[in-house]
Amino acid sequence: MPSHWFWWAITMACVVWYSTITVYVAIKGAKDIKNMLARLDATRKEEAEN
Amino acid sequence: MTNFNWLLDGSIVGLYLLVTMVAGLMVRKYVGKVEHFLVAGREMDVYLGIASLAATEFGIVTCMYTAQNGYEKGFAGATPGILMAIAMAAVGLTGFVIKPLRDSGVMTIPELLEQRFGQRIRWAAGVVIVLGGLLNMGVFLRTGGQFLVLVAGLDVRYLEIMMTALLVGVAVYTILGGMLSVLVTDFLQFIVMSAGLILVTILILLNVGWERLVTTVETSYGAGGFNPFVNPTMGWQYVLFNLMLNTAAVLTWQTTIARVLAAKDTRTGRRVYTGTAFFFVCRFLIPGIWGIAALATLGPVANTLEAMPTYLSTAVPAGLMGILIAAMLAADMSTDSSYMLTWCSVIYNDILAPFRKKPWSERKGLFWNRTIIAIIGVFLLVYGLWYPLKGDLWTYLGVTGTIYLASISVLLIACCYWRKANNWGAGASIVVSALIPITYLVMEQVPSTAALAKSIGPYYSGIATYILSGVAMLVGSLLKPQSQVEGRPA
Repeated sequence: MPSHWFWWAITMACVVWYSTITVYVAIKGAKDIKNMLARLDATRKEEAEN
Repeated sequence: MTNFNWLLDGSIVGLYLLVTMVAGLMVRKYVGKVEHFLVAGREMDVYLGIASLAATEFGIVTCMYTAQNGYEKGFAGATPGILMAIAMAAVGLTGFVIKPLRDSGVMTIPELLEQRFGQRIRWAAGVVIVLGGLLNMGVFLRTGGQFLVLVAGLDVRYLEIMMTALLVGVAVYTILGGMLSVLVTDFLQFIVMSAGLILVTILILLNVGWERLVTTVETSYGAGGFNPFVNPTMGWQYVLFNLMLNTAAVLTWQTTIARVLAAKDTRTGRRVYTGTAFFFVCRFLIPGIWGIAALATLGPVANTLEAMPTYLSTAVPAGLMGILIAAMLAADMSTDSSYMLTWCSVIYNDILAPFRKKPWSERKGLFWNRTIIAIIGVFLLVYGLWYPLKGDLWTYLGVTGTIYLASISVLLIACCYWRKANNWGAGASIVVSALIPITYLVMEQVPSTAALAKSIGPYYSGIATYILSGVAMLVGSLLKPQSQVEGRPA
């Protein structure tokens, strides 16, 4: 076990968690943007028709 | 001498800037209403919210100060990040304050405060929020410029021109696309920023090594470099003050709250908080490790703020240098755009509210929002970049932040959970939370009281601000005659 295990564990957790969440959010966030713009577009068209 | 290569690294930075600008400008066609402009039509989902919140809350100024914390305090310097992560996870899991805030359907915090405390308190809260926020943000540009100049080895004479060009670019897409542009560009900036932060950290861990980082901290700071409670510059008062400060920031900092208000529903807002919580540990620890690596490599330096960028300028190889600079530009641009938009939202929604006797048309509302952002941009240029700020920057940031955070957090908690809270208490709380930090700053400057101010210290003064702000709310509300309480308009 490396010295000062608490800070070692939290540093490793940061690197692993941050790398994972970046890839995950990059994929899911792109879908969120697509859906958000689609909903806004639908609302805009609906309001233009009314 | 720096490893920055104009052809390779310059191309990476140029490509990043081009893609961001195009993405920011492309979504402007979806902005038809003020609600689209300020809260993205409340259509934001969880993962976009996490990316946006993380990108907004990490600017170059954050990286500089957290690295300085690592350099000066060792691993213990990451304590505020751990406290903020705990506060954010707790608020996200319980929905404390953010649930009633999002359920109310308001666009800003003062709008909710009006429902309990009346129009005057809404206006006063708006002024306090904008003053605290803009004065805080006023120092971002120059600090960001310092980092870029040092890392890229640029002539310091170009700092103002470079940061002016950057701000103009950010202002253009924020003015045209509002929150929609901010969210889309934040998403891209989160990816670029995260890639840079992770790669540089792995490089440092491989090159400098864990044992050398730990030995450096042990030699320089002893046990205090690992435990804030035994560090002579920190102690329990530092931990308690930072717990109060970070909890208040999680509950009321307008750029953070803006993500809750833009979320498509309350559950999404809470999930954004829990999903982003651990990022705040990374936000302090990753640049903190960069600062410790600078200490291990450079040894003692005159200006501890500049230690980390000076170290990175030679430690990061060409190619990765371009990613690092693009990452830091991304961090700064996402922070600037969100800050400009959120302070604009308070100015438009709350400070200008008394001037809107009749509801404005959407076209007029959008025009004024865009004009306000342009004015904020000009203020930032004049105040933060071209006007040389004097004095200690950290104290300045702490004081401006506490003036706002102490009172607004007390007002918001009382508004949501204390039935007897009223405008007397709210007014007293605002006055007290402004008076204590300002008095402390004045005492520091006046020779006859400087010694007393030093013996009190910024942490006790900060703790007192939060406690007495709460006491003022309690006493003020209870002192108001019952007849007036019953007759209040809210």
